[in-house]
Amino acid sequence: MSEGVMAVVKPEMKSYIWLQTADGSIQQVEEEVAMFCPMICREIIQTGMGSSKNYAISLPQRVNPAILGLILDYCRFHQVPGRSNKERKTYDEKFIRMDTKKLCELTSAADSLQLKPLVDLTSRALARIIEGKTPEEIRETFHLPDDLTEEEKLEPLRNITDDPRIRLLNRLYARKRKELREREKLKNVEVEEERVDERSVEDLLTFINGGDGESKGSRTNKNKKKNRRRRDQPKNSSSEANGNHNKELDALSPAFHDSGASPSKSTKLQDSTSVSFSPKLDFDDADIDDDLDPAMKEELDREVEDFARRLNSHWPDRMQEILSLGQERRLLPMSINGDGSRRYSTAALSGLEDASMQFAATEAVEKLAIFSLQQRVSIFVCFNIIQMQCFILWESMYSGMKKMLEKRRKTENSRMTTWANMLILFRDCCLLLLLLVTFQP
Amino acid sequence: MGDLMEPDLISDLPQSIIESILTRLPIRDAVRTSILSSKWRYKWASITQLVFDEKCVPFCSDQDFDEKSLIEFITRALFLHEGPIHKFQLTTSYLQSCPDIDQWILFLSRNDIKELALELGEGDWFRVPASLFRCKKLTHLELFRCELDPPPSFKGFLFMKNLTLHQVSVYPDVIENLISSCPLLENLSLSYFDSLTLNINAPNLKYLFLEGEFRDINLENAPLLSSMSVAMYMTDDNFEHFEQSSSCNFDKFLGGLPRLETLTGHIYFTKYLSIGYDLGKLAITYDHLKVIELYQVSFEDMKEIYVVLRLVTSSPNLEELQISGSSNALVAMEAPDLDLWEKESHSKCALEKLKHVKMTEMSSVPHEMEFIKFLLCRSPVLERMSITPCVYVMDGRLNMLIELVRFRRACSSKIKL
Repeated sequence: MSEGVMAVVKPEMKSYIWLQTADGSIQQVEEEVAMFCPMICREIIQTGMGSSKNYAISLPQRVNPAILGLILDYCRFHQVPGRSNKERKTYDEKFIRMDTKKLCELTSAADSLQLKPLVDLTSRALARIIEGKTPEEIRETFHLPDDLTEEEKLEPLRNITDDPRIRLLNRLYARKRKELREREKLKNVEVEEERVDERSVEDLLTFINGGDGESKGSRTNKNKKKNRRRRDQPKNSSSEANGNHNKELDALSPAFHDSGASPSKSTKLQDSTSVSFSPKLDFDDADIDDDLDPAMKEELDREVEDFARRLNSHWPDRMQEILSLGQERRLLPMSINGDGSRRYSTAALSGLEDASMQFAATEAVEKLAIFSLQQRVSIFVCFNIIQMQCFILWESMYSGMKKMLEKRRKTENSRMTTWANMLILFRDCCLLLLLLVTFQP
Repeated sequence: MGDLMEPDLISDLPQSIIESILTRLPIRDAVRTSILSSKWRYKWASITQLVFDEKCVPFCSDQDFDEKSLIEFITRALFLHEGPIHKFQLTTSYLQSCPDIDQWILFLSRNDIKELALELGEGDWFRVPASLFRCKKLTHLELFRCELDPPPSFKGFLFMKNLTLHQVSVYPDVIENLISSCPLLENLSLSYFDSLTLNINAPNLKYLFLEGEFRDINLENAPLLSSMSVAMYMTDDNFEHFEQSSSCNFDKFLGGLPRLETLTGHIYFTKYLSIGYDLGKLAITYDHLKVIELYQVSFEDMKEIYVVLRLVTSSPNLEELQISGSSNALVAMEAPDLDLWEKESHSKCALEKLKHVKMTEMSSVPHEMEFIKFLLCRSPVLERMSITPCVYVMDGRLNMLIELVRFRRACSSKIKL
């Protein structure tokens, strides 16, 4: 009935096809336009539907009325046989200019209608959008959730060249991944923390020559972080088996971080090209006494001298020095640490020895690795020194402030130590830069 | 963090669309989509087309480093890939022959490779490993600068449709066997072979492209050939060899091609065809031949003129003709046998569909003029004839112009000079 009415209304006697979208709305379209679309064509031929309003062809769900309109415009243009290729191309270029959301919907709809030329056109447009963008930009354009964990993102980049710096970065990422995992695990293990905390608190207190036992409780929380890292490092040193380089790095890190808390080495090393350090230490109530500073200074001076020597000496000799340095450093906390840390240090030492032997073996194999290894170890040393100094600086500043607030003593001393530390820090930064410059491959 | 209420636009598109998007990206960008989100992590790993070139790896001026990084990139990409690989294309000048390529081809042969294209750098030519010949499903093969030596057990690529060999070092009978053992071969392209003698036996062949020094080509069985483009470089020894041969090249070459639609001949093609030409009766008319393009036709050699005439007169449905001459004007001015044209004018052939004629590099030699006259007389529907004189002809152009305008025309067409 409706068809008859329609025929009367439209004088040109064209035949129309009725299409129904998923939301129920029905449209009518000229037959030749609809036939351009293979799916509709098949439906008409096979089932005979579409000839009237009641028997409208129901389109797949992905086609909504607005998009259907676009598709029909496309079909209407292209089904005319007399157009030249150039005309079609120009039309296509103009047609494809729409926002990304619509483009994706159009692609989806064209695919469900099996309109291959339009699918190709839209795919090409989407590829052009994606090409050359950074991942953040792509995510923003397409509203992709950034739901890869830090772990997965940090996974070794698969398609990167063999740049030694990238290799280093990958290894550091691998270590950071491990740390993240450890952190996850340790979040659940509360009980053990308490016991270990005691020792580390002792360690801390004696180290900074302060006797502030009042806020042990609050300290444990903060020390947890530090302690976890301390535990992680030796764990890493014993468990990491991929390559002597890793082992070496891990073995060396306990050797150098005994000066106190140290944030994860990987963060430090991540910024190997930019000297930025973020002391993640928030120790409170650490009374730092001025007596400590001369001893500290001595040690720092010694380290820096070693460091400078290392800059000039050959690698195997350097290796020996590091070993010896590690053993020297052991002396300081050895006396302070309880039994727990002893086991760390032996593990570290054995790791070091192993590392040195393995290293000698591989020296002949890969020159490039040696070179980067040197660089790495030196950077390690530097960063540790700087780290230590930051800590001390912080300590002095903090304690100065605290004294000022509570006891209103003379603050000149603490200020002076602060300045002295800053100078030392500055000196080491310069040394580090010098090192980096000399070691540029 | 982004708006959590915004729906993800693209990740839920069907895999076929994602694949068509990813294959349109350079491979490096496609692999990088793996860090976009968790759904995109391995979408790239199932694309079926892998196209590698020098843009895959960042450029570093150290040649060895580039080579190594490219090798590593490709190896890793193949290793992480899952699923069938239908197309593999490698175009690079960094790599020459290296053992990794053998392993890649072995890997591809296990993964249903269908299209393979290898273009490596100048240097040691890459020796194609035997695993290539075990790729049963190969339909497209393109090799540049390789050494091909199929094992004796090789029976041919049964699905091969496109074969392109460019500067490939083979034994001559290997090529013949290869061509004849690919029954579905449709598209054959051979370039830069030295002195090749070839019998082409390919019942389904539709497109033929030849370039190089060929000693003897015999299209003995290519009845479906519809498009042909040949560039024959002739050295002196080849030419001597030709002089001695008695068989008519024209028949051998173009004799069995009733379905020919497009014929393009470069360099010495007409010369080649003219060898051994006898003025015998034509055997075959090219009913489908629509486009003829001949370059380097020398209008001073009678035999070549005969060849061109024969081609033109046996193609009643010719629509487009393009001839580029290369006559030596001084020699060709004394033109013998101009009565040939008298004879031709009595023949009744008419080029009823000829619409476009383009004559370039004309030196206004008499035979050329006669030929143009001939064409003008016979083409009732000629729409455009463009004549471009050779750049070396300075004088005499005006004369040529005047003469041309005077020619009798069978239609009201434009002559463009």
